[in-house]
Amino acid sequence: MLRVRNLRTGYGSLEVIKGVSFHVAPGEVVALIGANGAGKTSLLSAVVGLLPPWDGQVVIGGRDATGAPPWESIASGVVLVPEGRRIFADMTVMENLQVGGYRNPDRDRLIDEMFDRFPRLRERRGQTAGTLSGGEQQMLAIARGLIARPRLLLLDEPSLGLAPLLVKEVFEVVRGLRDLGVTICMVEQNAVAALEIADRGYVLETGEIILEGVSEDLLRNPEVMRAYLGKGYREVWE
Amino acid sequence: MRIFDRSGELMDHDLIEQVHLERLQALVARLKRNVRRWRERLAGIRITGVEDLDRLPFTSPQDLLEAFPYGMFALPLREVVRLHSTVGPGGKPLVLGYSRNDLTQWARLTARQLVAAGVTSNDVIQISFGGGFFNEALGYMLGAELVGASVIPEDPFHIEYQLEVLQKYRTTVLVTTPTNARDLADLLQTMEIDPQSLHLRTLVLSRPIPDDQREHLEVGTFAEVRTGFGVPEVMAPGFALECDEHRLHVQEDQFLVEVLDGELVVTTLVREAMPLLRYRTRIAARLERGRCPCGRTGVQVLPDGRLDGRLLVNEMPLCPEQIDGVLARTKAAGQPFRLHVSERGVIVEVEVSENFFADEMRVLADLKREIRLEFLARLGVEAEVRYVSSVGDSGNRGSAE
Repeated sequence: MLRVRNLRTGYGSLEVIKGVSFHVAPGEVVALIGANGAGKTSLLSAVVGLLPPWDGQVVIGGRDATGAPPWESIASGVVLVPEGRRIFADMTVMENLQVGGYRNPDRDRLIDEMFDRFPRLRERRGQTAGTLSGGEQQMLAIARGLIARPRLLLLDEPSLGLAPLLVKEVFEVVRGLRDLGVTICMVEQNAVAALEIADRGYVLETGEIILEGVSEDLLRNPEVMRAYLGKGYREVWE
Repeated sequence: MRIFDRSGELMDHDLIEQVHLERLQALVARLKRNVRRWRERLAGIRITGVEDLDRLPFTSPQDLLEAFPYGMFALPLREVVRLHSTVGPGGKPLVLGYSRNDLTQWARLTARQLVAAGVTSNDVIQISFGGGFFNEALGYMLGAELVGASVIPEDPFHIEYQLEVLQKYRTTVLVTTPTNARDLADLLQTMEIDPQSLHLRTLVLSRPIPDDQREHLEVGTFAEVRTGFGVPEVMAPGFALECDEHRLHVQEDQFLVEVLDGELVVTTLVREAMPLLRYRTRIAARLERGRCPCGRTGVQVLPDGRLDGRLLVNEMPLCPEQIDGVLARTKAAGQPFRLHVSERGVIVEVEVSENFFADEMRVLADLKREIRLEFLARLGVEAEVRYVSSVGDSGNRGSAE
């Protein structure tokens, strides 16, 4: 579904993604985890064409999409739900969803489907999106992405800035999508929560992938525990 | 045909290539960060394809020896949950560290091998390895437990007892060395026991054997023979598995293999505690690509003897250098000797001078006993001692034949 090889990108002369390779197979949920500043968001941005890649290759569904503009990646079925939701705060819930399905002639039926999946959005369909709670906004952002009928859904920090209870709710939604067979690549700082619903994961550290594996192995990996689970693991051994 | 891990064993070529690239990049990044001796040697090296492997330095058995005990570890010792040792250059010990995940992977890879041999959770699997085979035995234990078979760990210190276990526990799968399997087949014949009266269905052997031996064992035990092939420093068992076509497939999603000047070179892609980068195994081998009817995509390996002169005596690795060391501890120290090595033991011919002979017979008999015990205690090998007046030119400082 998605294959990335040796991707390099950055800002100005600063290289933030230093040759990253990863893949997402159809039907898979993959988590890219890493601390603040590891380059997770830059990586997703480069994949969808928001950030021009310096080098490397992005193949989406067998077609080379390296450096293709974002609208082309949407056309090829890749949808990014950006960090911090980025919903249109002054528009209503309904309008936001209509924008999400602008390419889809079948959008009204899909909007109905979204309302079935997220009943809270139906209740608030006429409300301006900016007045929704953080969790509801995240639901809206995900629903808006799903209306484009993605073959691959990229989620950038879906839990960012949400209260713990809402984080749980958002991950429930992602779990639901996984069970429906949606292919998902998720970037998360909340490593444990992300790995609990992902099939596989990659650990990104200062622009490089240092670990890859099935989620249950990564959760048991000492380096992951050191970096993300606290546990007073910072200790020099040499 | 049953397959334990379809996604790993049947992974298509295209994906294997991607996975190799991803894992190699992650491995190099980890080694740079975590292992002091790699930091400088890997500085500035960027992997953009598996073909860049050429630019990476090798690891030799000597490197492991120099890093003894923990210099090659990529995790702090507190996160290393198992320490095994194996025989290194000159018979000196090497340390192998395993993290919790390494043990899990070991179990999975060995389970793949056992399932490929037809083992299921309905089997009673007897794992018969003597002293010196801890690593093998524990690997098979992990794998068999993961498959869910009923495991009987057993030390075949007495072969008749081993047979009794086979009969009474109704063992269906026996995991052992080729030598032990042959002894067992011979015992069945001498005791006139019909092998069909056993419940034994499959023999899993610790190393590959020639076809004629395989046939002999299959007739003698009325069981199907499957072999494994492992490199102790890399993973043994679990490095490769034998499929229904009797081909040894490298578990290529986890190991990157090369053959350079006839030598098998292995990079471990997922090991956490002690990853090996381009490890020169000192084992001669060939690789064969091509479709296998079993569907597995891992490259086939055809191993062929050791390149460092290491011998296998009674299944125990023996380095010629070790012999000197053993003799040096006896009263025969410094005497010229010659060594004949058979599969079962060694014959040491010690040159004794005239004045040696002048001594009492008892002294010579004592020396014989001393040498025998020393070989057994230090190398675990049976030695027969003979006195000769001259070992000839070739045997001056000891030569193994």
